[in-house]
Amino acid sequence: MKKILVIFMLAVIGYSLGTSFSTIKFGENRIGDPKEEKNVAAFYLNKTPDELSVANVITAIVVNYRGFDTLGEVSVLFLAATGLGSILYRRRKKGEHPEVITKPASQLLQSGSKLIYPAILVLGAYVFIHGHLTPGGGFQGGAIIATGLLLMMMAYKDFEIRHNVLTWVESIAGITFVSLGLTGLVYGKSFLENFLPTGNINDVVSGGIIPIIYIAVGFKVAAELAGVLETLLSNKEND
Amino acid sequence: MSSIDYNQIMSIGIYGSAIGLILIGLYAVLLKKHLTKIVIGLSIIDAGIHLLFVAIGYIDKGTAPIFSPKGIEMMAQGKTMVDPVPQALVLTAIVIGFVVTAVALSLVIRLYRHNKTARIDQIKSLKW
Amino acid sequence: MVISPVHYVAVPLLAAFLMPLLSKINREFVRIIPGLVLIYLGYVSVTLMNQVAETGTIVESIAGWSAPFGINLVFSPFTGFLATMMTAMAFIIWIYSYRFKKVDSEPAQRFYILQMMLVTGTIGIVLTGDIFNFFVFMEITAISSYALTAFYRHRDGAEAAFKYLLIGSFASAFLLLAIMLLYTQVGTLNMAEIAQKMHTVPMPMKVSILILFLVGLGIESEMFPLNGWAPDAYSQAPGPVGVTFAALVVKAGVYGLIRVVYTLFDIPSVGEFLIIMGAITLVVSEVSALKQTNIKRMLAYSSIGQMGIVLIAFGIGTQEAVFGALFLMFNHAIIKGLLFMSGSYLVYNNPEKEIKYLSGYGMKMPVISLFFSLGALAIVGLPPFAGFWSKLYILMSAADSSLYGLIALILAVSVIEIVYYFRVVGRLYFGKPAEGSIMHKATPGGIIAMSILSITILVVGFYPDIITSYIHNAAEALLDKAQYIENVLPAAKDLTQIQN
Repeated sequence: MKKILVIFMLAVIGYSLGTSFSTIKFGENRIGDPKEEKNVAAFYLNKTPDELSVANVITAIVVNYRGFDTLGEVSVLFLAATGLGSILYRRRKKGEHPEVITKPASQLLQSGSKLIYPAILVLGAYVFIHGHLTPGGGFQGGAIIATGLLLMMMAYKDFEIRHNVLTWVESIAGITFVSLGLTGLVYGKSFLENFLPTGNINDVVSGGIIPIIYIAVGFKVAAELAGVLETLLSNKEND
Repeated sequence: MSSIDYNQIMSIGIYGSAIGLILIGLYAVLLKKHLTKIVIGLSIIDAGIHLLFVAIGYIDKGTAPIFSPKGIEMMAQGKTMVDPVPQALVLTAIVIGFVVTAVALSLVIRLYRHNKTARIDQIKSLKW
Repeated sequence: MVISPVHYVAVPLLAAFLMPLLSKINREFVRIIPGLVLIYLGYVSVTLMNQVAETGTIVESIAGWSAPFGINLVFSPFTGFLATMMTAMAFIIWIYSYRFKKVDSEPAQRFYILQMMLVTGTIGIVLTGDIFNFFVFMEITAISSYALTAFYRHRDGAEAAFKYLLIGSFASAFLLLAIMLLYTQVGTLNMAEIAQKMHTVPMPMKVSILILFLVGLGIESEMFPLNGWAPDAYSQAPGPVGVTFAALVVKAGVYGLIRVVYTLFDIPSVGEFLIIMGAITLVVSEVSALKQTNIKRMLAYSSIGQMGIVLIAFGIGTQEAVFGALFLMFNHAIIKGLLFMSGSYLVYNNPEKEIKYLSGYGMKMPVISLFFSLGALAIVGLPPFAGFWSKLYILMSAADSSLYGLIALILAVSVIEIVYYFRVVGRLYFGKPAEGSIMHKATPGGIIAMSILSITILVVGFYPDIITSYIHNAAEALLDKAQYIENVLPAAKDLTQIQN
């Protein structure tokens, strides 16, 4: 009985969503000519290569135009670590170190991961350092690094990253972000305003504070995701 | 003529699959009994919404909004770029969705520890 | 450095990021830092409110891009009033929660980090002028709430948090869908520009988007039938957190609803819809409150009912009604805060929080029982306490719009309120204490916090004019859509210009 009701409701929702979206033509050009700047997206496409000297428009949006959203996102990540630590907190008895993963990984995984792990780390670092030049950025790069760390955690039972290190990296990255914003407030006129010279487009050093912020974000995301994985995997709590 | 049909097929395909994902996720959240499956359902709903969001930003025959040397060349030739704003918003939304999933899973772990079961019909205090 | 609205968000976030490091230096820092941050924010509030009174709405652009290309924060008489109220309540809650319960220092650190993020989230919701930024802050608030609800291990916190999480995720999903559709129609995310371009959106699409917004925001503002999460969350959360939910989170939710309905959309019949939903919410929740035996759930249902009255008043939509609604929001924050605070102490050692165990506590815990009774008198609207004025103004505005049925409804519901509140008060003073009932002495912080709230209730009750001028300006600012658009768009006023 409940099943039928739910399926009926799903059909209704699907139908209404479908009709709403069918009025939005797929692929319709709603931006127009970027030079005309009829709307927000056109403005971004037009201004980014000239004023910010950043190649990746999406990076410019995420870090500069809508940097406040990214600040919110970074704090949400921080909430993940704190919230998980708070929800899964168990008063540790003396000498208790419970481990959840009990079966050792296969030989294939152990030797393979040793090979791939450095490459993954380098790829992740490349992605977030070049966030303003190529597709990618802090979040993507941080996620790649965290995947590498997860690989090692699954392969080796005793691979662990000390929680102290993670906490320091998280906090320092977050503080860097907010401090850069506040510096913008002091030197420029507004929070998160770009106060470094912007350089030439397609250089690694260009775009002012944008690459710096994204690198900080990359570290933070990697540290947060690693912390979350560690908390969920091995039943240890964040310090 | 054929490009119009192509566009229609694409739109039905993409919108349809995104909405389909949302419906599948909803089905899982509403009808499944195991807590982990409910959380996975939530994750699938998020995936569907994000896909929908990115699909909205697509502009026909547009290229990636990056001003690499190749990109500048293409702009000079008159090609358009896709809308960068939905992609930037989805970046944020994905991270937020991930965090919600992480918190949900930790709650599931705690419920499991407490009740020794992870089925929603066996945990009495979760009655709707 | 110029005092600007972004301090409300940047300073608590900086403090939250610093807390894990500072706690390694000295464990006690974690309890003190939130207080310092909130004192600073109080200073910011006073400065900005004065500035707004002189020079008008402050619009601050982030990252140097003026609206609509960047995100902007809007500190108007309306949003500033809400932000100040939230800051003040957060500070009082901090005083109350200082050493509220014995917890190890590690969870205490996390508790304060989560509390500060929650406050940042709610103030950010109120101050932002961008709809996706609103969504982000909403998520910050929601996730902190989920974690805080599950804070205590020995209660059903995890179940309540899980339920809250599921329903909250639906709210975010609906909000995202609404923002998505809205973006395709108007091409912008800035609230003022959306308001400007709203007339170009075809009606069917407008209605769909409005429905998505109403569902998403209705969940956060505890509108019927989307408030199933609230009683569990309020009752399972720690005492200070329950106060935070009632005084900050739900206000932010209602703010979102009002901003969307009043500023973004221009469909006139939404007001009637709000009145109907508000009335249903009111009746259902107050009747449910009557049946409760758990004191915190009773207070939660009572909160939902009060929000129902607020929705009704916003639905009526006249200047007087809006004034009454804002006044009620203010009163509710203070009074319900006091009730939750004293209620938590009354049932401190009582795991089921049942009312029937409270017999005779009037003698054993005289001060706290007095606070609770004061709150009960105030919330049902008896003069000369604060709650009387807000109810009066709402009833008067209903009379002016000839909605006499509403007047009857609200009065009838007030009778129900009197019944279930005085049931508790009666038991406090006229029951015989059961043997072996242990009461808990309140911390000095708790007493100070509750006294501040009680004094405020009395002062506002006798001299409502202290606060009414601010609320009048707030109501005006809310209703004046054209002024809002004008303030935010063309070239948002540069802050340095104002200072000179």
